[in-house]
Amino acid sequence: MNETLIRLKLSFFLGLRSLQRGSIGSLVMTIVIVGMVFTNMIFLPSVITGAINLFVDQTIEFQSGDILIEPKENAELIEDLEDLLARVNRVPGVLRAAPHNNIGGVMKFKGNRLAGSVIAIRPRDEVLVTGVSKMIREGQYLGEGDTGVVVIGNYVAGHKDKSEDLMPSLGGVRTGDSIDIEFTNGVVRTYRVKGIAETKSYMADQAVFITWDELESIRGQKIDQATEVLIRTVPGEDEEEVKLSLIGMGIQEEIKTWHDLLGKAFAEIVQSYGVINSISTIVSIVIAIVVIFIVIMIKTLNNRRQIGILKAIGIHRTTITFSYVFQVIILAIMGIIFGLFILFALDRYFAVYPIVFPDGDIRPAFTIADIVTNAVLLFIASAIAGLIPAWLIAREEILDAMRG
Amino acid sequence: MIRTTNLKKTYYLGVVEVPALQGISFEVHRGDFIGLMGPSGSGKSTLLHLLGLLDFPTAGKIEIDGLDVAKMDDDERTDYRLRKMGYIFQDYALVAELTVLENVMLTAMAQGKPDDECREASRDVLSTVGLSNRLDHLPRELSGGEQQRVAIARSMVNRPIILFADEPCANLDTMNSKAVLDQFHTLNEELGQTIVMVSHEEWHKEYFHRIIYLKDGQIDRDEDRRVHGI
Repeated sequence: MNETLIRLKLSFFLGLRSLQRGSIGSLVMTIVIVGMVFTNMIFLPSVITGAINLFVDQTIEFQSGDILIEPKENAELIEDLEDLLARVNRVPGVLRAAPHNNIGGVMKFKGNRLAGSVIAIRPRDEVLVTGVSKMIREGQYLGEGDTGVVVIGNYVAGHKDKSEDLMPSLGGVRTGDSIDIEFTNGVVRTYRVKGIAETKSYMADQAVFITWDELESIRGQKIDQATEVLIRTVPGEDEEEVKLSLIGMGIQEEIKTWHDLLGKAFAEIVQSYGVINSISTIVSIVIAIVVIFIVIMIKTLNNRRQIGILKAIGIHRTTITFSYVFQVIILAIMGIIFGLFILFALDRYFAVYPIVFPDGDIRPAFTIADIVTNAVLLFIASAIAGLIPAWLIAREEILDAMRG
Repeated sequence: MIRTTNLKKTYYLGVVEVPALQGISFEVHRGDFIGLMGPSGSGKSTLLHLLGLLDFPTAGKIEIDGLDVAKMDDDERTDYRLRKMGYIFQDYALVAELTVLENVMLTAMAQGKPDDECREASRDVLSTVGLSNRLDHLPRELSGGEQQRVAIARSMVNRPIILFADEPCANLDTMNSKAVLDQFHTLNEELGQTIVMVSHEEWHKEYFHRIIYLKDGQIDRDEDRRVHGI
């Protein structure tokens, strides 16, 4: 065995014995602190990642689908809708396309007036493309061919006590109530509220949904136009590839993936969150370094005499130094394992009881890569924090150290 | 085996110079059992520390087997202490977190010997000091005499060429002191172990072949008891 291996083996032996037969209280305290630091390193960023994921999911689920087709430049509507839908639905990778026709209107209920979006949809297509049908708080979703009924968003329905509302509302509409809608073409109709959707997406919860048949009834003609077409891709398909296929089909309208739609501003928000995550990680690592440094410094100062004895009997100072580094490595590993237990417990808890925000329920999100990266960072930081005080003490003259 | 030439050691307390050794020259021969004696502050322990490579002289020369130790770097001194020297301290200086067996195995392990060999050698040497039944005890579970016997076993496990003992009986009662000195005597007589021991107890004299009396950092008297037939 070469000299380095002999020294490392002896370091590990000394380090292990020191932990096994040293103070249990100090051992447990250090493991708990490292575990908490590790949890903190992952948990706060995971909440931020969860918020970003929520924003992305809501955009896809309730606003754009995976791909959004918008009118050509300088046009207000998509023309030849049926032809477009037939072509889009034939493109490989497209699960379904759902047209929206946003006509707008003023809703009235018991003296309350509210201007907003009235979106005509085709329910059969819509359930395959957006998530609104799955988020009906009370009542039912629209059925194909329904007329005289609407599904309204949660913010539109509102509360009788308006102080509970985040947005202007109709003041507490319930399923079965009747509301009047005055459309922009002057038509006024009364609708029974069939269901109330609570998606926590501002776009969907501030809208009123009617069927395409109802729209044609209001306009008094067949409607072959849409303000937008939402597309859901087959799970696992790359939306960029599908977008290229759509362009290849000769579709002239604006085609955007959800990523294009979120655009640069979103990338900047993600980048800003990244900065916050980095700061949080750095602060956590500094805390870990300081705590471990103090723990090992106290330990080495208490063991100063013993370090002197070890040097006197011929134990090399690198062996002594690395015995403390091994202690720190073992503490870091145990702390990280403890932190993982906390993290998975938190993950399970928040899966059942997510963090409730007005714009959605946030579930902390972290990946194996996040865990590995932070574990490696903490591991390296701990090793350095243990190395410095041990190295300082092990350099001391033997007799000075032995005098304690 | 060991030759010191005009060895000096001065401590500095701020700007005040405190001469601990003022030109010590003598030789230690293989198989010697030397006692360093003298009043408190005479420089006994300082001389032992210099001979044992635990400290550096201010001036003068130490040669061990013809090798000038001043030319050794820190690593070489550490390695020399491990392989060639054994130490026994007044307060036993055992590693508190290691068992009796592990304390003794430690220096053997540091030489890179296989674990089984280290364990076997340590058991053997612990058996010779009468501690076979205490192998798995921690130092705090032993009496002072037993701890000092562990320290002797530790110092012997690597078969050093020279053993240094700094007042090894200072914390022991007479019975345990006698047991320790008998142990040294056996090692010296049966194995030819060279021993340099610091003591201030008059009754220890009977164990030494040679006594170097120090006074004010100088050799006051060098008494070879074998020559004098004592």
